[in-house]
Amino acid sequence: MDKTREKMKRMLEEKEVSAILALRRNHGHPTPFLFTKAEELKDWVADEANRYPLTKLLIKIARKHQSDVIGIIVRGCEERSLVELLKNFQLRQGKVKAIGIACSQELANRCRCDQPFPSQVEEGQVAKPATDFSDLEEIEKLTEEDRFQYWMSQFGKCIKCYGCRNICPACFCPTCTLEDANLIKPGGMPPEIPIFHLHKAYHMADRCIDCGLCEEACPMGIPVRRLYRRVKKSVKDLFGYIPGEKEDEKGPLEFLGDGSYELPGAGK
Amino acid sequence: MNYETVLTTCTYCGCGCGLLLEVLDGEVVGTLPQKDHVINEGGACIKGWNAHEFIYHEGRLKHPLIRKDNSFKEASWEEALEVVVTCLKKIKEENGPDSIAGLTSARCTNEENYVFQKWMRAVIGTNNVDHCARL
Amino acid sequence: MTNSTPELEDADCILITGSNTTEAHPLVASRIFKAKEKGAKLIVIDPRRTQIARYADLFVRQQLGTDVAWINGLMHIILREGWENKEFISTRTEGFEELKKEVQNYPPEKVEEITGISKGDLRTIAETYAKAKKGTIVYAMGITQHITGTENVLSLANLAMLTGNIGRLSTGVNPLRGQNNVQGACDMGGLPNVYTGYQSVADEAVAKKFEEAWKVPLSRKPGLTIMEMFQAIEEEKVKALYIMGENPMVSDPDLHHVEKVLKKLDLLVVQDIFMTETAKLAHVILPGVSFAEKDGTFSATDRRVQRVRKAIEPLGEAKPDHEIICQLAQRMGGIDFQYDSVEEIFREIAQVTPIYQGITYQRIEEDGIQWPCRTPEDQGTLFLHKDQFSKGKGSFFPIPYRQPAEQIDQEFPFWLTTGRIGFHYHTRTMTGVSPSLQKEAEEGYIEINPFDASELGIEEGEAIKVTSRRGEIQIKAKLTFGVGRHVVFIPFHFVEGAANILTNTAIDPVAKIPEFKVGAVRVEKVEERMNA
Repeated sequence: MDKTREKMKRMLEEKEVSAILALRRNHGHPTPFLFTKAEELKDWVADEANRYPLTKLLIKIARKHQSDVIGIIVRGCEERSLVELLKNFQLRQGKVKAIGIACSQELANRCRCDQPFPSQVEEGQVAKPATDFSDLEEIEKLTEEDRFQYWMSQFGKCIKCYGCRNICPACFCPTCTLEDANLIKPGGMPPEIPIFHLHKAYHMADRCIDCGLCEEACPMGIPVRRLYRRVKKSVKDLFGYIPGEKEDEKGPLEFLGDGSYELPGAGK
Repeated sequence: MNYETVLTTCTYCGCGCGLLLEVLDGEVVGTLPQKDHVINEGGACIKGWNAHEFIYHEGRLKHPLIRKDNSFKEASWEEALEVVVTCLKKIKEENGPDSIAGLTSARCTNEENYVFQKWMRAVIGTNNVDHCARL
Repeated sequence: MTNSTPELEDADCILITGSNTTEAHPLVASRIFKAKEKGAKLIVIDPRRTQIARYADLFVRQQLGTDVAWINGLMHIILREGWENKEFISTRTEGFEELKKEVQNYPPEKVEEITGISKGDLRTIAETYAKAKKGTIVYAMGITQHITGTENVLSLANLAMLTGNIGRLSTGVNPLRGQNNVQGACDMGGLPNVYTGYQSVADEAVAKKFEEAWKVPLSRKPGLTIMEMFQAIEEEKVKALYIMGENPMVSDPDLHHVEKVLKKLDLLVVQDIFMTETAKLAHVILPGVSFAEKDGTFSATDRRVQRVRKAIEPLGEAKPDHEIICQLAQRMGGIDFQYDSVEEIFREIAQVTPIYQGITYQRIEEDGIQWPCRTPEDQGTLFLHKDQFSKGKGSFFPIPYRQPAEQIDQEFPFWLTTGRIGFHYHTRTMTGVSPSLQKEAEEGYIEINPFDASELGIEEGEAIKVTSRRGEIQIKAKLTFGVGRHVVFIPFHFVEGAANILTNTAIDPVAKIPEFKVGAVRVEKVEERMNA
């Protein structure tokens, strides 16, 4: 990753960006960190095993430092998230500079990622897309009744930690539908099922960039990503729309972004 | 502009989850579960995810308080510590060390618990030390 | 815990009792679900049908306070069927004959009558657990907060030893500790009878060691437990109480009594981060800091010593708790209370505490270490009792069943049990001011079986009156089949409608734990005022 590190260094030194958000080795663990000095970059890591929602974390930082241009290391999924966040005015055009890194084939396969690379990378071989829907197909083989039972049994484990939402790099509404007492009763472990999870799935249908962080964050092992992959697939089949692909294309379910959202938005 | 995440351990239940406190310009603004922690492996419960929320609550005690008549008055550390020390010394002299008792805390760190019981035992001279583990 | 949290996922039989695991210890529950996915059998024995109970291969409700009876009953069946681990019993244990004699008295018919668990279910549980290759027991306060708490725990240990389900990976008897550093507070000698690492204050050699380390003469007389302290305050034997970061005004049984007692003190000092119910009664309040403002270590429920790191400076004039204590100690003439860092305190802990001796900040820089860890080379201990028990052979304790301190009767016909919910923590000092948590559960409630509610004419959300021999509260009804007939449950977190106005102060004679899990109450509709 020497070339990437060199590029980050140059960007900081030449003040192309005020800082770069990436992962740093911290007491032996990769953790999010905002690099502001070139000499700090020796601790930068491009860790594959431990992904954090960097683009989402950037919202908080950018909101506080609106005039700064901030760099950010992105993988394919993170670039898609950036597209969504820019499109929905959570980040400002021109105030974010993405530095792309490629995922290994192993990571791409593990993630079943059909676009395991950003539009530009500094170095290395980009992985081949892993077009693998076997996880979905496995469930779709079941009868409707069995499928319902399967999901109810999965949702029943939910401890309402909101981790799937909190970590989601495409979730940013200032008021969350999952916390609206008119829609979902406060409290409860499990929360009201299946409505809690279906609400989220519907909400993510034209926004989910399929990074899989939600499923990684679920302490109860609920395969939520499968659910979002399913609705995402529906949106693609019905409307030909892929979230995170084009910045100038609005989601088909999008009645937001019409000015009713004020800048800067409030990501959770 | 300063943003870092500080590796720490959750302050709620005894599971011992690894958390990252997000610190933006000297202020804690969020919590993330540690991805590569042996216990929580990138997950957290709702308490863990919100472990930072109480930190800046307006109800936080920021000054020593001494009861005067029926209300509390802000006091300096010097004054408050002296009141405590004087009273404890007097009670110990008049009634012996076992007339003093201390509750240490299942929420404080090991180091804090250690100095607490050392203080009770070695300075005050009593083994009347317990905490709310039973409750 | 005798074993580690991650190990749970490789057990092939998990017996949970007295633990609402998903709500109180979610990240332990997470491992149990993983184990289940790998094919483990899950057995849940609890008066409440908890979230995890829905995933059990077998879930049974026991009558409140009858744990010793069903555990003895399981052992009875195991011995009758010859499912015990004979080799483990003969090589690793002592006292087997006495145990065998005692459990003879618990045939399934009798146990069914006491506990309400059917003979068939008892047999299934006994067989599943006894025949497991890696059977593990997980419990929490539902086992300990009884007058027979110690006996309950010893009974579970009997069961584990009888079947050889201890001293190996993914087995053991695993208490889940309720607070982040209960384990550490105990390890650090925050108990009246022991110094750090469970070294007895009455032991001459231990006392001498600490006298040498601390350079002062020390008392050999064990001190008072929290419940005994309150007793002694009432008798005017204890005049001053110093409370660091605890809130007995919500957490203790019979709150009316606690308040009366605390008001009798000549001096009550409370060191806390919030104006708690207890702090309101203090003469002096000293502001400590939150976990974000200090360095140190916590010890998790599986004996894992891990770092806490300072993220921000203390708010206002608040000081880290150890600094406050050290200053007090020095002002009172204490020597050796000058520490340059918390790491220096930790070094001293390691010096005087054999089970922590091999642990240094450097070694836990990246990841925690599980005690016992006795030398710099020692990697720590995943599970206890590997080749032998700490005192050599494991002792069986024959334990007869005793009834809970309070029974239901005509006047108080409902069983009351208390516990936690997942959105709050202990006395809500912190979670009550955390918007994301408070929003989920703003007020207390009582769980009541819909059949009982219907008989009493009580509807969902209605405020009802609950009375015990100690006091009465009004609280909203929540109708749920989670509790059985004639059992009600109240989460103890809330100040308004505090469960602990009702709870019994009867305590376990050994562990001095109050019987929070069993009480008798009356449940009534609130009479509507004529003009309402």
